Amino acid sequence: MGNEITEQQALFDLLAALADNKYFLGRRYAEWCNGAPTLESSVAAAAMAQDELGHTRAIYPLLQDFPQAKEQPAEYEPETRTRFCNVAFLDHPFTGWPDFIAANFLLDTALSVIFEFAQESRFEPLRGRARKVLQEEQVHALHSEGWVRRLARTGGSVRGALAAALERAWLETLCWFGPIDDPRGELLRQGGVLAGGPEELRQHWLQRVGPALLESELAQAFLLQQEAAGRWVAPSALPWEKWDAGRRRLQQEPAHV
Amino acid sequence: MSETTPLKVVAETKLWEVFARRKYEEPLHQVGTIAADDPELAKVYARSIYDEFSWVEMVVAPRDAFLSVIKP
Repeated sequence: MGNEITEQQALFDLLAALADNKYFLGRRYAEWCNGAPTLESSVAAAAMAQDELGHTRAIYPLLQDFPQAKEQPAEYEPETRTRFCNVAFLDHPFTGWPDFIAANFLLDTALSVIFEFAQESRFEPLRGRARKVLQEEQVHALHSEGWVRRLARTGGSVRGALAAALERAWLETLCWFGPIDDPRGELLRQGGVLAGGPEELRQHWLQRVGPALLESELAQAFLLQQEAAGRWVAPSALPWEKWDAGRRRLQQEPAHV
Repeated sequence: MSETTPLKVVAETKLWEVFARRKYEEPLHQVGTIAADDPELAKVYARSIYDEFSWVEMVVAPRDAFLSVIKP
């Protein structure tokens, strides 16, 4: 099947995954606009939800220029779409504030890594959107890192709830960049859409999330270590047998709530 | 959050004063106050709460860094 994938299909799948993950991240953030632990973080949740839904509105229209959209037009309008490509842990509302922070810290950062690697993309619509997305995402990163430190420092059941939330999102986000030999990722790299393949993207993501996990002494749970050369290693056994490469998710069928 | 994390556990206790200006020729002036125990979160909150203008500069300073000269 891998040989049948074209660069155009790989790009289409990437854009769909970016749009759908940002759409559901925005929705999940919005559900905490009046439920966050403090007034300040409720306002920040609302602002981040607006940002994510804004990014969504900038990406969904790109899908309509692909032949796939002409075959099934209803699937490429966000209002009528049913074939979503979001990670499985966004199918359901967050069970608590630690889930918000885990998604903010792990997944939101993973999505930003794509835009970082698209700043010189040969696909102009993605390159053109990368700068504004990354500018807004700087604040999201500060928010997530600040809260990871706070919840970890609080200790007790709060720290335990954060560790459990990070664990629920960890493997799927680690998989999200695709297997090391993923034909889609290689096509995107060769075609100049992204400035790196799956393993380079994953390594960059580990460099972004690793320091805060190490500082908060949460890295051990994920076997995450930094080698002497500065390279991060997370030697977890990844569940590729459950991986849906086209939709970049660990479960076959979404069941959104 | 409420089941696993009582709100009081993560209540913000440190206050920050927020200063901003809309034009380079204007001085910074105080636009409000926020509560945050983490300096990076203080910056995030200041930015998301006081977003009514396109500021050219915004800074936060811990309230306890201010020295009283004339007391009210």
